This record gives sequence, C-alpha cells and structure tokens, in this order.
Amino acid sequence: MSQDSSTAGRPGAAAPPGEPDRDIAEEAARWDRETLAPEVEAHGEREQAFTTQAMKWPIKPVYTPADLDEIGFDYLVDSGFPGEYPYTRGTEADGYRSQLWAMSQVSGFGTGEDSARRWRAMLERGLNGIIIEYDLPTTNGLDSDDPLAEGEVCRAGTAIDSLPDMEAALDIPFDKLKHLTSVCNAPQPINLAMIIAALENKGVDPRSFTLLMPNAILIEYTCVGRYIFPPEAGLRISTDVIEYTIANHSNWVPIAIVSAQLYAARATPVQELAFSFSIAMTYLDAVLERGLTVDQVAPYFSFITGIDMDFFEAIAKLRAYRKIWARLMKDRYGAKTPEALRLKLMGSPGTMSLTLQQPLNNIARLGIQMLACVLGGGGQQMTTPLHDEAHALPSDEATSVGIAVQNIVAHETGAADTVDPLAGSYYVETMTRRMEDEVFAEIERIDALGGALEAIKTGYFQKELAKQQFSRQRELETGDRKLVGVNHLVKPEEERGIEMFKLDEDAESRQIERLRNVRAERDEAKVNECLARVEAAARGTDNLVPPILDAVKAHATHGELCNVLRDVYGTYHPDSLTTGV
Amino acid sequence: MPRTLRVLVAKLGLDAHTIGVTVLARALRDAGMEVIYSGLRQTPEMVANTAIQEDVDVVGLSSLSGAHMKHFPQVVELLAAKGAGEKLVIGGGVIPDEDVSALKEKGMAEIFTMGTDTRDVVKYLDTWWADGDGAP
Repeated sequence: MSQDSSTAGRPGAAAPPGEPDRDIAEEAARWDRETLAPEVEAHGEREQAFTTQAMKWPIKPVYTPADLDEIGFDYLVDSGFPGEYPYTRGTEADGYRSQLWAMSQVSGFGTGEDSARRWRAMLERGLNGIIIEYDLPTTNGLDSDDPLAEGEVCRAGTAIDSLPDMEAALDIPFDKLKHLTSVCNAPQPINLAMIIAALENKGVDPRSFTLLMPNAILIEYTCVGRYIFPPEAGLRISTDVIEYTIANHSNWVPIAIVSAQLYAARATPVQELAFSFSIAMTYLDAVLERGLTVDQVAPYFSFITGIDMDFFEAIAKLRAYRKIWARLMKDRYGAKTPEALRLKLMGSPGTMSLTLQQPLNNIARLGIQMLACVLGGGGQQMTTPLHDEAHALPSDEATSVGIAVQNIVAHETGAADTVDPLAGSYYVETMTRRMEDEVFAEIERIDALGGALEAIKTGYFQKELAKQQFSRQRELETGDRKLVGVNHLVKPEEERGIEMFKLDEDAESRQIERLRNVRAERDEAKVNECLARVEAAARGTDNLVPPILDAVKAHATHGELCNVLRDVYGTYHPDSLTTGV
Repeated sequence: MPRTLRVLVAKLGLDAHTIGVTVLARALRDAGMEVIYSGLRQTPEMVANTAIQEDVDVVGLSSLSGAHMKHFPQVVELLAAKGAGEKLVIGGGVIPDEDVSALKEKGMAEIFTMGTDTRDVVKYLDTWWADGDGAP
C-alpha cells in the first residue's frame, strides 16, 4: 500500500476530490461546543484560568491549525529552514547532528592554583568549556588586601590580583579546552590583558580556543550590581575591549549580553529579550561610531540566557531569541552576511528555579530545563547550574551530576537528533510569534525612553524588575504558583543531607601573601610609568587595552589599575529609587 | 497609637544580590513599616552608623556570597560598642544550618534563609514589637 492511500482517509487530511473542504476554525468551534464544553461542565478544570508561568498568557485547552491561521503564520516567513534567515529553527543547518554543543560549567574558588586543580579535573571528565567565576573583590576591582575585600577573598570565585595569579589559574591542559568564558564585567580590559599576557608567557596559541568575555557592564546596572564606574564610562570601557579584540583576536568573542542575569532577576522572557537587545544595540551603536560596519561587528556579539521551568515558554523564548536578533540586524542595521544575522547563544538551565529545600529535586528540574534547551536550540555551548547551588558554592559531586545531566539529554533522549523538533506545533508556533511581537513592542518602548542607557539612568529597568520580583515571590507565598518542596509537598523538619563545599580557611591569607610578594619584587618605577599611561588613555580617547596590557606585564595589580580608572571616571552610587528597592 | 517600626535593610560586603532585600523592603512597607535601604557595598561600620543615625529599631542584614560569618557578628558588636545594643539584628541569605546557630550565639536574633516567606518575617517583627522587646 502506498503512503498516499494510507493517509487519504485520515481525519484532518486534505479532502478527497469531490468532497467540500472542512473548515478547521469552524470544526474547532464545533468541537468546543459539542465535545469539550460538556466535559468541562461535568468535571470542571484544575484551574480557574491556565496561564504561562512568567508571561501570564492565557493557555487554551487545545491549539489547532486555526490558531496559526489567526496569526497569519507563514512557514517560510516565520520559521524558514535551520541555518537560514530568520533562523527561528536554528543557526546551524544540521542542528546538533554534526556536533553536540560544547559542555561547559561555571567554576572558580580559592586561589588560581585551587581553581586550576578543579578545572583540570573537569576537563578530564569530558567537559570542554570552563566558565571562570571570579571572587567578589576581583569583579569589584579590589585587591585582596583591600579592607572592603575582607572575608570575600577566594570565596565566591577565584581571586586574581596580578599576572602570576592568572598564570597559576590557567595551568590547565589547553589541548582539551575549546571555550573559556571569563566573567569579569567592570574590570574586563584588565582581565583580558591578564589572560593575553598569561597565554604569551605560557606559549599557548590564543587561536587554539575561544575566549568569551561577557564585558556587558550595562546589564550590571539593571540587576546584580557589579558595577564600579558610571554607566557612560562603563560603556566606553566595554567598547574598548570589543574594538581591541576584533582587531587583535578575531576568533574571540568580546561581548556576551548575559540575559540570564535579567532572567535571574525575575525578568519575564519578553523583558529579558527586550532589555538585552536594547543593551546590545547600545554597544553596537558605540562600536559602529568607531568606524566599523555592522557586518564586521555583529558576528562578535553573543548572548547567554537562562531557561525557566515553563517548558513551552522556554522553547518559544529560544526560538524567538534567534528570530528577533536576525530581524533587528537585517531591518534596523542593514546587515547582510549570515554571520551578522546568526545569533550566538549560550543557553543554560536557570539557577533561579532551583530550591534550597529538598535539593535533590533540583536534578529533575535541571534535566527538564536541559531538555528544553536542546529542543529549543540553546546554542553551540551550554552549561548546567548545579543542584546544590541554592545552598552554597557547588560541591564536587554536584559537578559530576551536572555533567551527567547534559550527557543524558545528549545521548539518551533523541532530542538532539533532529533539528528544532517542536516547530510546527500549533502551541509553540503561536507562542513564538507572540513572544516576538511583544519583544518588539517593548524594544520600541525603551527606544521611546531614549534607549538602554537612559532606561538605566532613570531606573526604568530596575523598577520593572522589582515589580516582577515582588509578584513572583507573592505567587509562591499565596500558593498561586506551586513549587515542590517550597509550597507543595513540603517536609516540615527537613534534614539537609547534602555534601557542601568547604573553602580552605587559609586561602585568603595565602592569596594576600602572594599579592604582597608580587608588589615587593616588581620594578616600582616601571609600574608607575605604566599606570600613568593608562590614566592618559582613560582621560583621552586611545584604546585602554594596550597600556593596560603593558601595566599587567609589569605586574601592576588589578586593584591598582581599577583605582586609576576610579580616579578618572569616579564611582557610581545610584539612589534607592533608581535601584528599585 | 504606637509609632511605626523602622527597619534598615542592608547589603554587607561586596555581594550585590538584591532580590531578597528588594522583595523584603516592599513586603515590610506593605505591612506598614518604614524601610530604609543602605545601598550596595556597605561595611559593618557604615551599617552600624546608619542604623544609629536613622534611629531604626531593626537592622536586617543580607549576604549571599558566603561572607556572613565575618560581617554579621561585626555589626552586632559595633552596635553594642556604640550603645545601640537594643536594636534587633536579623539576617538573611544563603546561610548553611550550622552557621545559623553560630550566628545566633554571636547575638543575631534570627536568620531567615532562602525560601523564607516574607509574611513570616513580618509576623516575627510584629510579634517582637508587640511584646515590647524593642521599646526604648
């Protein structure tokens, strides 16, 4: 029996010649009336109204082709093919069939040596990407012996004061490393310089791996708060890093808008995308002003997103993410090359969905979110947070489980074996389009406020996020949203039987001792001369990275270099209203 | 009518996770309390001074970076040294169980870890205030 004759009589298939076409919208209305309504009448429904988790969009009992007709869905315009504009179905034509995503993990603690030890073990266990987390003094541009740093040195990440620290941290097998991500927003040029200098001293070819730097300080003013300088200065410093990297390390990625931070600050998917794209366009405009073209620059922009527990909202977000970027680059900026239109994305299950209570449940959450990442196309590099992160810094065991979660989804589910398998789902396509429309509307709202920089300075982003933070918390407290272990299936007297990471107590003193040795052994006159050149560049318009690179090689410290920039730019202290608290 | 309870919420050290203080500030205000926010990157000295200048009844400390054992007790000590030991000092953040008891031994009145219902904090403060423990 041929394929044609076997499907001809199937309900929903095209009507055979001679019979009238049955209209799906009319049939859906009939079904609603005749079949659904009596059922609902008899049994009721679990909820008064079903809505998506973050957007609160109403969810219908069933979606049909009539829903796609209603939004004027056009397959070739809205979805197209993987690897082609508008990239809704993915940036890679062959999805994960030719190559799985690079598996990364965030890590960093203690001194450079302490972190390098764990990173070596991670690379041995099959990861090929490391996302370096620095301690708070480092990200805040302070040396480890600064009074403000007390108690925080080596704690929430690895401590880097000077070039010898970076050399110790990068004592890893570079032949196993594909991606290195270095998260050091405010002092990113100093961090970049230390990595370049350390590679030089080790004789490692910088083209042998990709260095990705978030370097998107503007997002830190909207949430998280790891800023030092006022927003305009922050923008200039980031732009210097982008310009320098494009010119000197063309295989590296000098900016990643970490929209996952907005997600973690409770932004809805629409806010996450709209705020991030507005911020990205502010950077893009700044780089274009320096005389580069959009086709030269846009391929260097990347994004890092977080995936929440609403499975379909998450998948629609990932699909819309690619489509909106492609449309913005094409329509607003006139980009022409595929590289400029193709979104570079790193997806990750979101830390904010993890619970402190019953932490083993988080492994289930991570698995589901990882599956959403793969089905929606979370990018060519992905990572997992770890199930004990809500407690404290991740333990060694949790690191292994995190790697396993990625491998289970990759090798045991089949989710990675065809590209964008949920395309064509009436529900997913309807939601993808709605996501797209609402993100464009929000971007226009931010444009009307004067763009991302103005929206930051007036506190628009911060206040919008504060509203979401409060309403999400209220939903949990009132039970409107069920969270297992928190307000559903709660165990009153819970024992937290989980291995917790313990930081070596003398890490801080070891770190400070090395810093003092570095200062004692260096050529002080040379350091001062280098710092003066950094200051001159900061006061003028020369790119900051070259003089900072010289200073780093002369063992000027991270904190000293930040202090030079503090003297020039001042520090930023928003009032309570602008911070949204 | 009793006067309104005044609360300082403060971010200690370099940790900049503000969701907890943002949400708590709003919940306490909704419950009729006056809330003052310190801003980011405060030292224990700065927090103790603000608490005294603003004449608050309660100091709520937040830390999610793991530096709570170092910072929280210092605020308690500084307040006592400055003659303001009657102020109630509470804390919140990512704080392991064993640290909770250690912090209480060092004079912290209560620790609210992640996942705390803001209404429990409101109830705790209302009860403390009604019992007259905080009355001058």
